[in-house]
Amino acid sequence: MTDAISISQAQLRFGETAALDGVSLAIPNGSCFGIVGESGSGKTTLMRAVLGLQKLDRGEIRILGKPLLHGRAALKERAGFIQPIFQDPAASLSPRSRIRTLMDEVGTVLREPLAATHERLHVILNRLGLPPGVVDKYPHEISGGQARRVAIARALLMKPSILIADEPTAGLDVSVQGDLLNLLQDIRRSQHITLVIISHNLAIVRLIAENAAVMRAGKVVEAGEVGSLFGSPQDAYTRELLAAWPSVSAAK
Amino acid sequence: MSGLVATLKGICSEREGRLGLAFTCLILVFALAGPLVSPDPNVIDVKARFAAPGLAHLLGTDNLGRDLLARTSAGTRYALTLAVMIVVISSVIGSLIGIVAGIAGGWVDRAVTAVFDIVNAFPPLILAFALIALYGKGSATFVLLVTVVFIPQFGRMARARAQTLRNLSFIEAERMLAVHPVTIVVRHYLPNVAGPIIVLASMNLPVVIAFEASLSFLGFGVQPPKSSLGTLIKDGFISINQSWWPTVASALVLAIATLGATLLGEALRRVIDPKTAGVR
Repeated sequence: MTDAISISQAQLRFGETAALDGVSLAIPNGSCFGIVGESGSGKTTLMRAVLGLQKLDRGEIRILGKPLLHGRAALKERAGFIQPIFQDPAASLSPRSRIRTLMDEVGTVLREPLAATHERLHVILNRLGLPPGVVDKYPHEISGGQARRVAIARALLMKPSILIADEPTAGLDVSVQGDLLNLLQDIRRSQHITLVIISHNLAIVRLIAENAAVMRAGKVVEAGEVGSLFGSPQDAYTRELLAAWPSVSAAK
Repeated sequence: MSGLVATLKGICSEREGRLGLAFTCLILVFALAGPLVSPDPNVIDVKARFAAPGLAHLLGTDNLGRDLLARTSAGTRYALTLAVMIVVISSVIGSLIGIVAGIAGGWVDRAVTAVFDIVNAFPPLILAFALIALYGKGSATFVLLVTVVFIPQFGRMARARAQTLRNLSFIEAERMLAVHPVTIVVRHYLPNVAGPIIVLASMNLPVVIAFEASLSFLGFGVQPPKSSLGTLIKDGFISINQSWWPTVASALVLAIATLGATLLGEALRRVIDPKTAGVR
């Protein structure tokens, strides 16, 4: 079976800093995959490279078996099966457009009649627990939690088969964090989406992901099934990270 | 609509803003209502030359007995029309060029910036003389000149904003959805570039009015018998020994127009773009 995302020997330097230093990863189709690491470890750069927002110096990325290309035609094709949820979802909604306009844009891209887009949107909003009236608001008129759901709704409207969420729970209070993770998990299972969670928070990756990779200084230091990765970490850095998270150790 | 009301409220919240708005409204009413209350600006009545202000001629008459109220009103209307036209054309063209340069980066950006630098390297007055030598005197030459001089100002501002916007999540989100680039520019760049551009445009209105008056004063602007604030000041200036009134009347109108537009522009900047305005 083809992997949803396969990365081989990805290298990228920003001046003297190696943002990605020979990263190789395979993310199985339909799975939930976590990428963990501290700030500056290269997680977000890797995500941006996978989305085609950042060109690699060397190495190859394949999405559903096809090599990642740049340019508008490639971007258009890719938009149909891979969508991001950015770290700051409020900032990922155009500030001077109503949410309805942002949603309608997706319909235009998909060349779908607006009525059909609205119908699908209605179902998605319902699913995400958003009131239908939210579409008449501007991004600054809704709460942070709602903005995140709106960003997810917009990504789902694109009918992607891969969803990449960068710090999906950042800035949310603990109860909302749990709800959101459950929601993402539900959506993933019911729609057979490959979900990639990028987070510095080991607890949420452990909770939701099946496989995970630990990154440090642009390298993958350890990757594998979540149970064994966090249960008996092989790499010293992983052990260090785990030790820094008392809640994770206590949950063992 | 609520945005417009909020902007007006913001402008009126300080004395300078209220004054600017009042002066600007006054000048607009003066320019628009002139033809209604006053005779034809070009009717010569030699018997009434250098008449003092009175019931027949509210602002008196000039050396040919032409009604000064009608002539200053026509001159103001001409200056305002040119100013608005130039500012609208140059801000639209400048913003689009600036946004494209900001988004594209690379050689496109370098080429656009170089052209902007070249245009800015000429002092406007020298460029004016060169264009007048090439195309002759007249409104069209003036519009072309000031538009060309202003485009880089708007272009630079739009370019800087676009460069910032380009890397923001919401623009990347649009790109990831494969939204058409033209839609992205029109719907997501333009509204977010508009604020500072509107402020710059309003600050440039008085500059055009004053520049038009100076060129006309020097005899390179509008040609007789049409009236412009600059030619009125010059004609009054020539015959200042017979009557000081024409100079004062037209200079006062010019002063109120530029002061009003400047104060209004400053107030608008304070409301729309508080970061670049003086610390309050």
